[in-house]
Amino acid sequence: MAVATTQNRMAPAAVAAPAIMVVDNLAMRFATPEGDDVVALDDVSFDVNPGEFLSIIGPSGCGKSTLFNVIGGLLGGYGGRVTVGGETISGPHHSIGMVFQEESTFPWRNVVDNVAFPLEIAGVGKRERIDRARHFVSMVGLDGFERRYPSELSGGMRQRVSMARTLASEPKILLMDEPFAALDEQTRLLLGDKVLQIQQQLKQTTLLITHNITEAVQLSDRILVMTYRPGRVKRIVNIDLPRPRSSEIVSSEAFGRYVAQIWSDLREEATRGMSDEQSRALHSGTPA
Amino acid sequence: MAEVGRLTRATPAQPWLTPVLLLRVALVLFALVAWQVMAVSGWFYRDVIPSLPKIWTALVKLLSSTDFYWNLGVTFEEIVIALALGGIGGIVAGLIVGGNKFIASAFEPYLYYLGPTPKIIFFPVMIMWFGVDSGSKIAMGALSCFFPIALNVAAGMRQIDQVLIKVGTSFRANWWQMTMKIYMPAMRHPIVNGLRLGLGVALIGTLLAETKLSNRGIGFLVIQAYNSFDMPRLYAVLLVLFMMAIGINSVVAHFAKLDEIKQK
Amino acid sequence: MSAGALTLRRFAPQAVGLGSLVFLLVAIEILIRLGLINRFIIPLPSEVIASFGRVVAEEDIMDRFWQTAWECLASGVLLTVFGIILGVAMHGLPLFRRACETWVAAFAAAPLVLAYPLFLVLFGRSSLTIIMLAFLSGLPPVILKTIEGLSATRRVLLNVGRSFKLTPAQQFWKILLPSALPTIFVGIRLGLIFALINVVGVEFLINFGGLGKLINELAERYDLPGVYASICFVILVSVVFFVATERAERWLKSAA
Repeated sequence: MAVATTQNRMAPAAVAAPAIMVVDNLAMRFATPEGDDVVALDDVSFDVNPGEFLSIIGPSGCGKSTLFNVIGGLLGGYGGRVTVGGETISGPHHSIGMVFQEESTFPWRNVVDNVAFPLEIAGVGKRERIDRARHFVSMVGLDGFERRYPSELSGGMRQRVSMARTLASEPKILLMDEPFAALDEQTRLLLGDKVLQIQQQLKQTTLLITHNITEAVQLSDRILVMTYRPGRVKRIVNIDLPRPRSSEIVSSEAFGRYVAQIWSDLREEATRGMSDEQSRALHSGTPA
Repeated sequence: MAEVGRLTRATPAQPWLTPVLLLRVALVLFALVAWQVMAVSGWFYRDVIPSLPKIWTALVKLLSSTDFYWNLGVTFEEIVIALALGGIGGIVAGLIVGGNKFIASAFEPYLYYLGPTPKIIFFPVMIMWFGVDSGSKIAMGALSCFFPIALNVAAGMRQIDQVLIKVGTSFRANWWQMTMKIYMPAMRHPIVNGLRLGLGVALIGTLLAETKLSNRGIGFLVIQAYNSFDMPRLYAVLLVLFMMAIGINSVVAHFAKLDEIKQK
Repeated sequence: MSAGALTLRRFAPQAVGLGSLVFLLVAIEILIRLGLINRFIIPLPSEVIASFGRVVAEEDIMDRFWQTAWECLASGVLLTVFGIILGVAMHGLPLFRRACETWVAAFAAAPLVLAYPLFLVLFGRSSLTIIMLAFLSGLPPVILKTIEGLSATRRVLLNVGRSFKLTPAQQFWKILLPSALPTIFVGIRLGLIFALINVVGVEFLINFGGLGKLINELAERYDLPGVYASICFVILVSVVFFVATERAERWLKSAA
């Protein structure tokens, strides 16, 4: 239960290998229905190192989802640069795999056909893609459910299918937007374990957008804390907890300290967010 | 520093000259031109596709003849009576069926499954029961509109807020009071919607019956034009008929919607 | 409560419904025999039931049934194919959709079958008239439901497609269309029902074709029990068709 020190492991390979993704001065503005401009993101800059697990955490309204959509290539018209392996993002990039927050399995396909989807698009032959898909189905712990349909599965299982589907496209960077938001705490922790396991196995670079501090500390190498709107990088925290980790780490002292530290940062921003919402609701006359 | 992305606001469209309007006008013009081309081409047997001027002439002649308005009156009267009979019957049946779960399970399936069937085939029976005059036509119309109205009312009964019924019972209202003061007002929309649907099918039922066997009414005018191969007149009658049917339907729908918005 | 009593409870409503029907028929039979109802207006139910066999044997009912069935099939195929194609086209061309969708809805409300004399002139007294009328009557619901189904595709599914860099064609065939299929089928079912009603109705009106023509012929011959029997038969066919399509729709919805 000793506090993890830097001698246990090196900081993420920022020195050893070049960053796999660079976000440089990213800014994003939207026009609201009322006519004014809202600055969702302002001067966001960070690097993502190969093989690392980076969580981005922030209060509601900090632009997390905007960041997700920009990096995923679903949103254009941004200022600044986002590059992956040197290439600028202009549309969905083949090295980036997205896992969405909402229910996103195809209800008309069974589990293995869902997971095989990216392979089907890439033109892989039927037998081979089913085999490869089964591998990923197994990886997320859904052995035996290959022929089932999403309507027969629980919410957590369906999210695992979505994840397996994205993993099947073997992206260099896995980009996830609050994939466990709709699940209960216990399922979250267990799925978190699964994700850790997979990430270790594949040495998968992962970007996780979340509002859940426990989850972020449990899973990440580094955590990026964002400010309330306009979203900026408030702080980047190195999580020096030992690997391999499991959900048991949640009870350790060091864990608690990281959570407290991040919460104190977040609290400021979350409070600002709440008072901002309240004052806006007051002015527009709708109940908060 | 870095340029900032900005979503541009769309310029507001001009008030009435929209692309949609232009496209619609273009489509209508295209259809009219295509029609006229086919009419004068000689590809079809004479008058099967009459030229537009011919149709126009027939239309004017039709709308300025007392004959037309007299027949229109006959048909109108038949439809109104049919809708009244089918409507009352449908509302009563709907109230009974919708008001009691057991009765609903016993009899609603009959309404539901016998609804989407071709009613015109009952016409010979109607003639036998009600004679060759307006009676059988009205019967056809009433039979046609009975089912959608009954089903709508039954469904409406089930959707009434139970609280309202409890209020009525707590004030010890008798069944007539319950019906008139609670059920009917609460079900204004299902009833109006049912009547709207009913109007459409009553119209069809009555008119089809007129085309099959009658010497009066708009349906009769249609068959008369057909039998004498007066094609321009046939097109004219049909045009007027369709315009009226669509027009009435739109008007009723419009009022039904207004009423719904008002209540909210 | 015993199992037998429980079963009785469960089927009590159906039993009462059926029982009422039987009771009604028996009552009519008695009233006619007593002379209280004119037997030349309402034939004896027992005679009607008896004539079922006769009608089946003498009137080539199977041939007529297949004739009607073939007309329904032809118009059904036409309305499905054209309905989906037009629906897809209107969905893909937003301006066209904004201009014409209300027209299609208005067309759906129009009493097209009233123009059957016109169709007679255009296509003659033939199956073609029947098929064309049924096809056009059943077309609007397919178009409207196709548009509705495609538009209702969940945004996140489209985003999944975009994130995998699907081409527009792939996006359509692999995401939009499968997602819309249950709704499209609802439209097809509505279209088929309208088609069936119109096929039989027009057959009756123009005295051509299968089952509708049969009713008309029997009526012209004043074969009263036969008329009632054939009407019952047609209603039965129509109900079976309705139930079958309803089951199919339910199955498709549950599979989605």
